[in-house]
Amino acid sequence: MIQGLYGKSNIMEKALNASIARNDAISQNIANVDTPNYKRKDVAFEQYFADSLNRANMNDVDDIQPTIIEDKSDNKMRIDGNNVDIDSEMSYLAKNTIKYNALVQLINSNFSRIKNVIREGK
Amino acid sequence: MGFFSSLDIGASGLTAQRVRMDIISQNIANVNTTRTEDGTPYRRKDVLFEERTGSFSDVLAAASDKLSNGQGVRVTKIVEDTSEFKKVYDPGHPDADEDGYVNMPNVDVVTEMVNMISASRSYEANVTSINATKSMAMKALEIGK
Repeated sequence: MIQGLYGKSNIMEKALNASIARNDAISQNIANVDTPNYKRKDVAFEQYFADSLNRANMNDVDDIQPTIIEDKSDNKMRIDGNNVDIDSEMSYLAKNTIKYNALVQLINSNFSRIKNVIREGK
Repeated sequence: MGFFSSLDIGASGLTAQRVRMDIISQNIANVNTTRTEDGTPYRRKDVLFEERTGSFSDVLAAASDKLSNGQGVRVTKIVEDTSEFKKVYDPGHPDADEDGYVNMPNVDVVTEMVNMISASRSYEANVTSINATKSMAMKALEIGK
């Protein structure tokens, strides 16, 4: 029973880790905005996650790891072989931060629910 | 994995852009320097950026066919621009040749100003990424409170 209570925070911990990895990738892209021939990096996680949820087997979820991928596409606006678009990176950064904060809030509300049960709703 | 690597990456970006800014200032300051230690006019300098990798985790990731996020950016070299000096007619100048022409540095102030704006914008972008990382790290401390 208590496993059921904590089960969700395990998934959310994975999502948090993916979010931190993505923050790393975006920071790296922003730091290398002026590096010739640099290709932007991203973290693949959500799609794997959705796929395993569709299979409806919760054991699969434990195997999902955030994977760093390289975007090989060309940015036609630049001639130095770098495909970082600073405007999109900034918006990814904002999106990722908000997602992270939302996850932390979810985890906290989950914990406070467990606490509430332990205190018998007092 | 963790917040401190994101902060280090942001800091490496700040350092690289600051070096770039230093070199741009040096170019602008020497826009009229006709005599350097080598006896030639000042040559415009430029910085070369490279993605910084090579930490243990990067090597390990590469060995196991994975990508790693890397360690930010670094300045590999400061190179001299080998384009030709500008010739200006100024017979009264002590460095003028027998025809009255002086070799002036190959610094174009407009180019330097444009590069300066680019460097300061990139610097600001790195500051934003550091601030975002900081706010996420502070939020993490609230877990389980």
